Amino acid sequence: MEYISIFFQYVGQYLKTRLTYRADMIVEIFSDLLFQAVNLVFILVVFGHTNLLAGWSKDEMIFIYGFFLVPFSIFASFFNIWDFTDRYIVKGEMDRILTRPVHSLFQIVLERMELESLFGVVTGLVVMFYAGDKLGLEISWYDPFIFILLVIGGALVYAGIFIALATIGFWSDSRTDIMPMMYNIGNYGRYPVDIYNKVIKYVLTWILPFAFVGVYPSSYFLKREEWYTYAFLTPVVGLVFFLIAVTLWNVGVTKYRGAGN
Amino acid sequence: MQNIIDVQGLKKEFKSFSSRSGLKGAFRDLFTRNYTIKTAVDDISFTIKKGEMVGYIGENGAGKSTSIKMLTGILTPTDGKIVVNGMNPHKEREKFVKTIGVVFGQRSQLWWDIAVQESFRLLKKIYNVPDQQYEEHMKDVIETLDIGPLLDKPVRKLSLGQRMRCELAAALIHNPPLLFLDEPTIGLDVLVKLKIREFLKRINEKYGTTILLTTHDLSDIEALCERVVMLDEGKIIYDGPLKELRENWAEGKQIQFQFSEEATLEELQHLTQEHLVVWEKGESDLVWVASVEAEETVISGVIGKVTAAKKIADLKILEISTEEIIRNIYVEGAVRHG
Repeated sequence: MEYISIFFQYVGQYLKTRLTYRADMIVEIFSDLLFQAVNLVFILVVFGHTNLLAGWSKDEMIFIYGFFLVPFSIFASFFNIWDFTDRYIVKGEMDRILTRPVHSLFQIVLERMELESLFGVVTGLVVMFYAGDKLGLEISWYDPFIFILLVIGGALVYAGIFIALATIGFWSDSRTDIMPMMYNIGNYGRYPVDIYNKVIKYVLTWILPFAFVGVYPSSYFLKREEWYTYAFLTPVVGLVFFLIAVTLWNVGVTKYRGAGN
Repeated sequence: MQNIIDVQGLKKEFKSFSSRSGLKGAFRDLFTRNYTIKTAVDDISFTIKKGEMVGYIGENGAGKSTSIKMLTGILTPTDGKIVVNGMNPHKEREKFVKTIGVVFGQRSQLWWDIAVQESFRLLKKIYNVPDQQYEEHMKDVIETLDIGPLLDKPVRKLSLGQRMRCELAAALIHNPPLLFLDEPTIGLDVLVKLKIREFLKRINEKYGTTILLTTHDLSDIEALCERVVMLDEGKIIYDGPLKELRENWAEGKQIQFQFSEEATLEELQHLTQEHLVVWEKGESDLVWVASVEAEETVISGVIGKVTAAKKIADLKILEISTEEIIRNIYVEGAVRHG
């Protein structure tokens, strides 16, 4: 497909630019790693006082965190649209995007990708293997495929929510703090939802389905059969939210007002 | 000849929210909002044929950019019909933009950090241009615009004039039959301007490229366009050959009357209604300036009519420039055809 070849052209260009600023890239990877380490330390500190949290052990929590990192990193590499309103609507860069024969959202994904964040996939896998080993989890031949499917589902959930939020910019270009807030809410998805109250659990499952990025899919690998239905719903929820978001986007583009008017 | 652009009854309204003043006003805004509707483009219609070079002029806020953005598929019209290259720009955006080239003078199409030729390569991919066509066509473009030595420099290191030439080349990578230029010569020095004009003329001749150009620099229009479309407050106030505009107005004269008694615009317009005259008040109430065609019968006709009816203290005949004429037309609000 044409889009795939455009994608690789951009990736090539991106790497070329990034390699000329080597120091930048190293700093970025390092700060990403540091951020992930802080989060991990937080989990360890919580479990310094207790061994079980609503029936989940420390290693299980660590495993969930490791899993969460994988779809989250993929999302963070390709959907840098938290500053969409500022960058594309207020500054009018959307004008340029719209004069090119490629879907506008795809162009923004290409222009804003940050492949360094993919490093988080490696961290996530390491954390998962470490925790999985401690828990004595076994891997069957089909698990890697299910893993890929669940990761894609989780990344689509994230992408869907943030694309939908970005489309607000087509209607109103006023500044809001909704994006950073959403990043915070997203973090709740990496803890088991049954530690929260019912309302929060409902919200994290059906309204802002961040639970489908961390706990639900991980419970498949943790052999927590009571959550299996949710685990296998992950790709469906991801796809539904992503498609809704893209539809909103396509409607939003027709409402674009341009800059300077 | 077929129509490349066909616009009928095009309209664009922007709804904007006007806030009330004061804290109390801000609270009231929370519940009921006042919206004002601003009509940026108000029911315009025109057609452009293949191979034409058309100048699109107007003051700031006259609706030029808005209508260009609708023609290029960036904005959705509120009302009206647009067919460009046989397509509806907004409905079939992705297919449509392959058939046009766009240069916005104040916005770059190129990637800031990478070399110009890398930008070209990305655009070639985006537009899916076959290698052979690219090589042939771009070699010519690069040569004519004289940007060969700039190709391996990153865009951020180029001067404005160099960048603008690269922008132009970038807009032509897919050799579009229709080119939109929005202020392409803004801030450029005379030599670069000349080079760009020469280039535009050349591609127009060689490929039959239709060009729609907006500019504040009337010399661009004079050098390139045979036809101008003039906009004011969202409406077309003149659409026709530049030659006619110039014959009627630009090679005209200004006659300055100093009256010894007070005169009103209506009175003067009534006196000279059989001629093409734009009246403008001079520095005092008694001074009025009439812009007329540079034709003896008109000049003497106007002077005769005015002096017969009003007492005058002084009379001067001045030559006027195109710029001044365009300004006069705007002050007057509409072009009256002779």
